[in-house]
Amino acid sequence: MFLDYLYNLPNSTEGIDAIALETINIFPGLVPMLLLFVFLVVFIGGSTRQKITRGSGDYAAWALIASIATLLPALLFSITAGFIQLDWLIIVVSLNILSAIWFFLDKRITEV
Amino acid sequence: MERSQITITIALISIALFTISIFGFAIGFANDNEASMSITDDPNVAQLNTDTSSDISTFKNDSEDTYQSILDTTIEPGSDVAQSTGSFSISVGNIVGVIKNIVYLPYQTIFGSGSGFGIFFTTFLAFLVFFVGLLIYKTLRGNP
Repeated sequence: MFLDYLYNLPNSTEGIDAIALETINIFPGLVPMLLLFVFLVVFIGGSTRQKITRGSGDYAAWALIASIATLLPALLFSITAGFIQLDWLIIVVSLNILSAIWFFLDKRITEV
Repeated sequence: MERSQITITIALISIALFTISIFGFAIGFANDNEASMSITDDPNVAQLNTDTSSDISTFKNDSEDTYQSILDTTIEPGSDVAQSTGSFSISVGNIVGVIKNIVYLPYQTIFGSGSGFGIFFTTFLAFLVFFVGLLIYKTLRGNP
């Protein structure tokens, strides 16, 4: 065969859920990496953009916004069994609490 | 920058309220959507949720007592400041009650009658009361 796949292709006749679940079974790090991607895009993108426009980035506020933005897809993944491990969900919630502590105890006056 | 007592109190209460609201949101999301897993499946999270809620309830009661004791404060005659906080205390408590009554309907419609967000809302109002009381105290007597 011209293209030799490294894994069995998912059965695409059972809907898009089955495709995603089979992909996650093959590569369990997919969901955590997706959540990390969401967090870093919001955090780095937001704070860098603010640093460019204002001269200084409000990192604590952007960390809190990014962690909340990460919590939403994590909660959506928790609806169907097999998408996300409970450990990762707890880690995302813990990240929310830690960034909230950072944000509320931050000395600078936040504008967000 | 010097951190004042009010700033620190705001920070600590905000952290506790944020934690409760995040937990409440995640638990409510799992219940509403019949999710396959909930964060309460983890015993530590459930314990933290209970502990934080009881801490906030304690703060709510304490702040109400503190506010009442601040309103009862008197200052010895002879000083150049008002002798009691009566001029400040006429309507603050009533105004908070009015606001609570007014927002009850939208609150009930949006958040439902569960106790999870009730703690959040009542504590936030209690914190406002505590904040006003502390401002009155500091106005009359300076920093405690």
